[in-house]
Amino acid sequence: MAPLLAVRNVAKRYGAVQALIDASLEVSPGETLALIGANGSGKSTLSKVINGVVAPDGGQLLFAGRAVRFGSPHAAKDAGISTVFQELSLIPQMTVAENIWLTREPLRRNILIDHRTERRRTEELLSLFAGTFRADLTPDTPVSALLPDERQIVEILKAISVNPRLLILDEATASLDSRQVQRLFDLIGQWKTQGTAIIFISHRMVEIEQIADRYSVLRNGQTVGEGAMKDATAGDLVALMAPEASGGAIERRRLSPDDLATRRVILQIDDLRTGILRGVSMRVHEGELLGIGGLKGQGQRDLLLAIFGGIPYNGRIMLDGKPVHFTHPRQAMKHGVALVPGDRTGEGLLSIRSILENLLVPSWRDYGFPLRMKRAHQNASVIAARLDLKMAGLDAPVSALSGGNAQKVVIGKWLLRNPSILLLDDPTKGVDIATKAEFYRLLTRLCDEGTTVILYSSDDEELISLSDRLLVMHDGRISSELAGASLTTANLVAASLGVARRETP
Amino acid sequence: MKQTRWQQATYRHPYLFALLLLVIAFTANALLQPNLLEPTTLNSNMRVFLPLILVTIGQAIVMIGGGIDISVGSIVSVVNALLATQIGLSGDLSTAGVMMGVALFVGMGAGALNGLLIAYVRLQPIITTFATSFIYAGLALFILPNPGGGAPSRLTAFYRETIILWLPLAFYIIALLLFIWAIMRRTRYGRYLYAVGGKAEAAYETGAPVRAVQFSTYVISGLMAALGGIAMTLLTGSGNAQVGDPLTLSSITAAVIGGTPLSGGAGGITGPIIGAVILGLIRNIISFAGVATWWQTFVNAAIIVLALAMPGIIRLVRRRRG
Repeated sequence: MAPLLAVRNVAKRYGAVQALIDASLEVSPGETLALIGANGSGKSTLSKVINGVVAPDGGQLLFAGRAVRFGSPHAAKDAGISTVFQELSLIPQMTVAENIWLTREPLRRNILIDHRTERRRTEELLSLFAGTFRADLTPDTPVSALLPDERQIVEILKAISVNPRLLILDEATASLDSRQVQRLFDLIGQWKTQGTAIIFISHRMVEIEQIADRYSVLRNGQTVGEGAMKDATAGDLVALMAPEASGGAIERRRLSPDDLATRRVILQIDDLRTGILRGVSMRVHEGELLGIGGLKGQGQRDLLLAIFGGIPYNGRIMLDGKPVHFTHPRQAMKHGVALVPGDRTGEGLLSIRSILENLLVPSWRDYGFPLRMKRAHQNASVIAARLDLKMAGLDAPVSALSGGNAQKVVIGKWLLRNPSILLLDDPTKGVDIATKAEFYRLLTRLCDEGTTVILYSSDDEELISLSDRLLVMHDGRISSELAGASLTTANLVAASLGVARRETP
Repeated sequence: MKQTRWQQATYRHPYLFALLLLVIAFTANALLQPNLLEPTTLNSNMRVFLPLILVTIGQAIVMIGGGIDISVGSIVSVVNALLATQIGLSGDLSTAGVMMGVALFVGMGAGALNGLLIAYVRLQPIITTFATSFIYAGLALFILPNPGGGAPSRLTAFYRETIILWLPLAFYIIALLLFIWAIMRRTRYGRYLYAVGGKAEAAYETGAPVRAVQFSTYVISGLMAALGGIAMTLLTGSGNAQVGDPLTLSSITAAVIGGTPLSGGAGGITGPIIGAVILGLIRNIISFAGVATWWQTFVNAAIIVLALAMPGIIRLVRRRRG
């Protein structure tokens, strides 16, 4: 059968990052294609090219045999491409029915909204998932009153209500429970028989194996393999996804598991739960560099924020043998815990203020009243030298620094407080290779000096080369722990997709 | 998030709280002014409330759409200055008719300027309308530097004294506007209004005409302010370039009391109308009780601060407990 959609050699660059180099895929009517790849492989960019959210720099899109170029999500939708977005596109204040039919309300006399028809059609849609959500969910329930899984269901119904020819499910199962996923898969089966083509993006290998007819694997922005699901094992797909070592990162001398065992446990976490985390337990040793990996959004960020007192949580945290429960970052800071946020400009820096001020923001209270500026200057200079900060002077604004140097300021301001535990939230995102190398040396030195580092990174290679131990998160849990010989990219990718857990129950 | 029954009820009928307040304010007022429900007393109250009610309706529509209009008071002043100078105490009815039409266009024009700057140039609503309010206030003073002018008594008498079937003229005007609103809510425009105010990005992704809707809310607000200005002129029968000033804060307060939050995407106009009546009754109570008038300003401001702080306070309390 002729493919409904053919994507040929698509490229897309965001600033310095080449998100897609050469991506291709084909999907036919009545077929489910799994689009898979590790972090940063370009699968969300590719799905955004298809649904008109971003415009490609090169390559070709053929839809129903004709070359197309969608200028907006709306244009793609008009052509029959509907997407279930990960970031929800629902309006919280409006009801389920109002949200599903927004811009396509059934009208009477071409002007007045036909509530009865709208309600009936909404009920028909809801009945597709009947029994998998709370009974008080009606077409008139405001979306703000729904649970995350129910919102996801409404989102799916909204996408399907246009009777699309191509449905893109981008991590649509992430917040659904197993019963709801099963129902969705039954429905996908029905839609397939009606000729709908489906592109399925998921971080759960189990689901991919169950629902997909064909697969297409992306690695570093390139399509590296495709074929029929029945001819491939999970192991084959993981091998395709795992990037080959490029050798750019420095190899840190790893602490051996035996060495770690002799060290003091500085942080002990038992059964930590938040909205996303579903029972995380772990031990962290003094001077250890613990990596946290996995696909994005599996709870890594929540874990760091909970330790730092940034979000409420249930569970026990022991710091240096004493139970603690931080409800505000200030308390965590007092106990020597520091968090370097991932969104540098948004959360970490006051970009129009001077480097000096930025470095001292967390420490001003140690400088008395009036502030002892001379001492502040000295301490800041020491840190700047230690970080090898390239700058015009401490009084220059942070906005004048390069990305890598700005990142150093974010870390430097916490180093001034001599933290015993340093939490890093994806610190090298958007940082060039030279600065990365320098940053890796800094981390290595900090660990040698006895600082404990917990590093979450979306860069798998970086985690493999830096971590003493690596915890892989999947669906709000730690799916596996990699250390010593098992600390390989292939194992990380497999664990990210929940494969390892199945193979070693 | 589990909702309480009260939350569900207020979602469906955002004016429930306002209704409760209305009963209290009305009872208090009736105790001080026993003949409150007699047609003439009712009329003398409603004709005073009407300008604020009209302005508040426009304000509420802007707020549902996710914006705010600080310039409504100045638009009322412009219209008042325009009518008082152009019609005059001895003006004939046809001039009055023409000038009222002009006034409506002036109001919509002022609203269109606000809408252009906010929806298409993408400036902040609060700053933009605060700035344009000075343009309009300046214009009003240019037209009418000193209080003066007026409207012919035949016209003012019609506004002040018309009572049809025991009910004052204001009731019929409000009923008509509520009817128009009820129809509007049942059109796509009504849905878009709430969608845009609720979450503009989601509305855009879904394909709703976000900017056109934002623009339109300010035009409607300008139109309603012009109607408020006409009512104000007929009520006072005179011109004063600062007559609209207090209406801005009052219209926002009335909308907030009426269950139309500053965060947008919710509420309606029934509540804000009730809110405007409540503010009028509070003013009555204050004047009857012989308290200083600054209390009125104080109460208005306190309500706004409370309304703004409430979501934050609720979150704080929840977090403490959690």
